[in-house]
Amino acid sequence: MLAVFTLTVVSFIVFSLMELVPGNCAERYIAYKNTQGNIVTQADITAEEVRMGLDRPYVIRWANWVSGVFLRGDFGESCLRRVSVSRLVGEKFMLSLTIAMSALVLTYVIAIPVGIASANLRGGLLDGGMRIVSYLGLALPNFLLALMVMLFMTVNFGETLTGLFSPQFRDAPWSWDRFVDLLKHIWLPIGILAWAATAIALQTVRALMSDEKDKLYVTAARARGVSGTRLLLRYPARHALGPVVNSIGYDLNRIFNDLPIVAIVLVLTDAGVLLFEALAISNDQQLAGAIIFMITGTIVFINFITDILLALIDPRVRRSMF
Amino acid sequence: MFFRKKKTASKEDYFTASHRQLIWQRFKSKRTALIAGWFLITFILMGLFAPFLSPYNPTAAGRNENYTNGAPQIPQFCDDAGCSWRPFIHGVERYRGADTNFRWVTRQTEERNYLTFLPSDGWAWHVGKFNLNLPGERFDIRAPGIEFTTHLFGVQDGYIHFFGTDASGKDILSRTFHAIRVSLAVGTIGVFISFVLALVIGGISGYFGGWVDSGIQAFTDSIRVIPTIPLFMALAAFVPDGWTAEQRFFFISLILGLLGWTTLARRIRTHILAERNADYVLAAQLCGASSGHVIRRHLLPSFTSYIIVDLVISFPYMVLSETALSFIGLGLKDPVNSLGVMLQNVSKVDVLLNYQWYFIPVPIFVAIVLAFVLVGDGLRDAADPYSEVNK
Repeated sequence: MLAVFTLTVVSFIVFSLMELVPGNCAERYIAYKNTQGNIVTQADITAEEVRMGLDRPYVIRWANWVSGVFLRGDFGESCLRRVSVSRLVGEKFMLSLTIAMSALVLTYVIAIPVGIASANLRGGLLDGGMRIVSYLGLALPNFLLALMVMLFMTVNFGETLTGLFSPQFRDAPWSWDRFVDLLKHIWLPIGILAWAATAIALQTVRALMSDEKDKLYVTAARARGVSGTRLLLRYPARHALGPVVNSIGYDLNRIFNDLPIVAIVLVLTDAGVLLFEALAISNDQQLAGAIIFMITGTIVFINFITDILLALIDPRVRRSMF
Repeated sequence: MFFRKKKTASKEDYFTASHRQLIWQRFKSKRTALIAGWFLITFILMGLFAPFLSPYNPTAAGRNENYTNGAPQIPQFCDDAGCSWRPFIHGVERYRGADTNFRWVTRQTEERNYLTFLPSDGWAWHVGKFNLNLPGERFDIRAPGIEFTTHLFGVQDGYIHFFGTDASGKDILSRTFHAIRVSLAVGTIGVFISFVLALVIGGISGYFGGWVDSGIQAFTDSIRVIPTIPLFMALAAFVPDGWTAEQRFFFISLILGLLGWTTLARRIRTHILAERNADYVLAAQLCGASSGHVIRRHLLPSFTSYIIVDLVISFPYMVLSETALSFIGLGLKDPVNSLGVMLQNVSKVDVLLNYQWYFIPVPIFVAIVLAFVLVGDGLRDAADPYSEVNK
């Protein structure tokens, strides 16, 4: 319920943003034709506006857009390229999603065990090293790291590591070889995006675990003779799991946040770069709006899933919901 | 621990201390945060006194045509001709001859160029100069300010470039100082705007509670869920090409502030929700105080120190966002120097191979963010009233 409300508000914000761009789609398209040598008049612009439905009031157009998105998955037409946005973005967005999700999984695969270990060995060498890493993860932004890795690889190995596909596979249809080629390139953006996310997730896990592990129920379990890894995993880790699941949505948000910039640095051919092009170069509001909305929709969806997950693993949450 | 000892010595002080004194006491006992604090103060001073510290104008006006892409010049005390107490650098000249295949090269001369301190014939900078061009002649505000030409150091004649020069001959040291200044300024304006917004929205939400609170919270959550950088990019793309660098600067700061308030608003709401049922608030309300008066005079002072801590924590994110925006070319642009603008230059392999000194701003940028994060963390731990109990 809340998810639908959130999506509606987000769609309104995104739609308003698209509207705020000076000039509308018809004017821009006609202006583009103008540069191609066609002479256009004010009447042409008006006719184009009517054709696109731009003469109707703001709220109605928003309602049309939203219903198109929700009911038919139709994001309208790209302003300049005259193709359906869904077709233009589809595959690229899937690539972005794959990168972001893999980064998220990698983040938690690293953060949970290391965070638990570090909380347990508080003050030790691992803990100290982890703190330095997590501070660096905050202070060394993703795009800088991507840049450094790229420059380093280029200078030392003569390989740029940019892009998602080798030239011969860039526009090829999907095949096994193309998939293998993708795997050869995709690890770098995933690793870089996971780097900063891991830094923050590590701190969360560590803080939660060190809060829990000194509580009385843990002491009681220890008194009963449970010890070692078994003690950690059976008692404090289960308690700390709830807030960690809760933070997945925010971590995904952070990853999507960094994705466009990293994508630009590494010249990936995904939705992040498309967003940048739509905004900075072609000024294509429909396309940009659709991409932002898709990204946000994914985050809302993941938040929804984690809420359900939370209810499944934590009886207290379940009881407060019903 | 240091603080424990003091507590037993003067228990009275401890119980009568204000929030702020307690936070400061706890903050002082953290070595990392304290060192980071000193770094931070240094950077802020660098930003404030950037025109005085930088020997040359950081824009194209101060460029050294004879030394483009020049390596850093390190002052030395000795050379082949002997030593001197005064540090000097060797002069440079443009030279073309048969031995260089008739191409122009920059080479060092034997001539010594001594460092001078506090030279008063440098480029002019102004304190309090202010120009505001609003539509309409009457609204223009102009203040000439006071002109200074003194700088911290220079050389007898010609130029000295501690950090080298860039492709058009601009002094990287001067640019770095100004970049720190601009990045901190963007952060400050952004934090200020988001602070005011957060105060109003979070204040209303927390004070009135009920459906107002639910509505505002649902709305805030919807904004929080949109990743900020794509949103920043969308807003920054509106900037028309015709805008001046200053207009761009204010617009970028504005959008950073307009989108950064959500987390802070939430914290303020939580504080107010916790405080608003306290007896002193009820007493004020019974005395007939208005809502605004109660929020301003009674609720806000009760957690000012926590708000300051939150502001410090949110600061590095503003700087990071600005840098990321400028880095991809949607943020600030060339005549204005910010750390993001300077990082734009390092994205080429050519630079890594030949002009390594372009990278000098990178560690400085990392150090600034790190200093802010460490100080913010230290303050947050210090502001947490339970941190003492847990130990």
